[in-house]
Amino acid sequence: MLNEREFISTLDMLKYEHLDVRAVTLGINLADCSSHDLDVFKSNIRKKMTTLARDLVTVCNRVGHKYGIEVVNKRISISPIAVVAAAFSAEQMVDIARTLDDIAREVNVDFIGGFSALVEKGIANGDKALIQAIPEALATTQRLCSSVNVASTRAGINMDAVLLMAEAIKKAADLTRDSDGLACAKLCVFCNIPEDVPFMAGAYLGTGEADAVINVGVSGPGVVKKAIDRALEGENRPDLGRIAEIIKRTACKVTRVGELIGREVAENLGIPFGVVDLSLAPTPTVGDSVGEIFQSMGLLSIGVPGSTAALAMLNDAVKKGGAFASSYVGGLSGAFIPVSEDLNIEEATRKGYLNIEKLEALTSVCSVGLDMVAIPGNTSVDTLAGIIADEMAVGMINSKTTATRIIPVPGKKEGEKAHFGGLLGHASIIGVKNADGVNHFIRHGGRIPAPIHSLKN
Amino acid sequence: MKKVIITVIGPDRPGIIAGVSGVLFTHQCNIENITQTILQSEFAGICLVSMPPDLDNGVLRSAMDRELAGFNLQITIKDLDDDRQDHDKVPTEPFIVSTRGPDKQGIVSVISKAIADACVNISNLKAVFQGGENPDRNIMIFEIDIPVSVDFQNFSEELRRRASDIGLDLNIQHKNIFDAVNRI
Repeated sequence: MLNEREFISTLDMLKYEHLDVRAVTLGINLADCSSHDLDVFKSNIRKKMTTLARDLVTVCNRVGHKYGIEVVNKRISISPIAVVAAAFSAEQMVDIARTLDDIAREVNVDFIGGFSALVEKGIANGDKALIQAIPEALATTQRLCSSVNVASTRAGINMDAVLLMAEAIKKAADLTRDSDGLACAKLCVFCNIPEDVPFMAGAYLGTGEADAVINVGVSGPGVVKKAIDRALEGENRPDLGRIAEIIKRTACKVTRVGELIGREVAENLGIPFGVVDLSLAPTPTVGDSVGEIFQSMGLLSIGVPGSTAALAMLNDAVKKGGAFASSYVGGLSGAFIPVSEDLNIEEATRKGYLNIEKLEALTSVCSVGLDMVAIPGNTSVDTLAGIIADEMAVGMINSKTTATRIIPVPGKKEGEKAHFGGLLGHASIIGVKNADGVNHFIRHGGRIPAPIHSLKN
Repeated sequence: MKKVIITVIGPDRPGIIAGVSGVLFTHQCNIENITQTILQSEFAGICLVSMPPDLDNGVLRSAMDRELAGFNLQITIKDLDDDRQDHDKVPTEPFIVSTRGPDKQGIVSVISKAIADACVNISNLKAVFQGGENPDRNIMIFEIDIPVSVDFQNFSEELRRRASDIGLDLNIQHKNIFDAVNRI
């Protein structure tokens, strides 16, 4: 029998510490929908996706209600469109994007992820068409997310693709200049992209996955912060080993909730359960922040010296707790540091504690990368490509996932504000060195070779 | 063997369980299940006992009264109605209802009435009333078994409505989420 303290601490996590199931994402393989005829392809994907996802939202709401925990977002991830729609041109890819947006509305999901390509080693015809289509596809849809993997530890960095993505980001920003470049908030450039991420904008269904699968993303930065606060108040000077232990235990509890909900949703839908992704994913709400955890751990702000060490410990403890709680932990599983989506991190950039260089350093130990970073609108394609290449190098050498989700905000300068709305929040635009300059290193093109796996130091 | 339920209530002090179980042992009775609790200084115990068919409840009771004289206990012994147990078994799902709110008279009554009105059984109830207006110091936790035939949506809405009428914040959740978080 559970004791009173266990009941109350669980209730507090759910009710007052912002523990929620951030996303239940239904992965759908679209390989069997392929056709050379665009109308046939569109009809095939609509039929398959609406059939499989018809009850997704209802079931998520019912299960959430039963356990008293909200499933905040219901989403779909699909096979990379560059692969399953490889036969089509860029214009036709835009048409497919609009169809996907329409399907998202029909089944009432927040986002569909998978307008994606994997080009770390080379660019096929379908990949080229998709990358060309990205700016217009994202500017003319609301619920579609796109990701392109341009690097991996095994393949190196495809610098031609990096440059193409920098151009796509600039164009997407320009096409949505009225909303501060919002299209770029739905676009991630990856190194070592996982095949089972339930979180947007990087979600897609890998080619090694089942025909349909339920992946769950659980969050809970508020729960971790409160657990640390309680330990600091109630214990006699806990050392960092003890604090890491508390984070680990808390992550374990949070992951167990995710698996419970995910398995029940999967069972109700008759679809196999895939993974739990335990990521500390903040929202622009006080008490639901990763940045606040740094302050609980004793730092003035995220960004000051000590931040990389703190984040390394936090990220590792979260992964350890998650891995203990479930045999099927996947996705990104760690701590996100999305600037605009976290009030505290946004404040750190505004106050000057956190600049793009320190953000890049942090991404060597966080779970993803430069996320929701607003930079000046006059940033050149070359400089943008340089930022992406740097971030890809961090991932490639360290055998980890890294990504960029950068928004060059049209018409705005360093220090001004960009507003994206909702969960995407707002951001102070941070400065970039040589923002509007050229970069001959990037313009060499080609592929940076894969790194050596011995002689590590 | 026949089965009886024995209840013991009285001021808590060392030796109550030892006294009761000693009498049962000397009369060849077997304790199948037992639970006890203490509220402030008052002890309450209930046990399920199997006893020889020729042993009279009154004889057992007298023996206990002699053994525990001076303990100032109220002891009852009644036959267990086995048939009723099976009759009452309907498939159920375990849920936890918790309330927070200012301490005032009648809150246990209002919530338990709402639960009873839906023919839902309370299997455990824990209340922590420390008084005052701080809701976090006044918490009730009901473990309930909801028959699968009960409409969960309507039931939970009705519970919330009645709780809100008396200023309580009420949550209802399937018990599995508490087990998942707290048990490995």
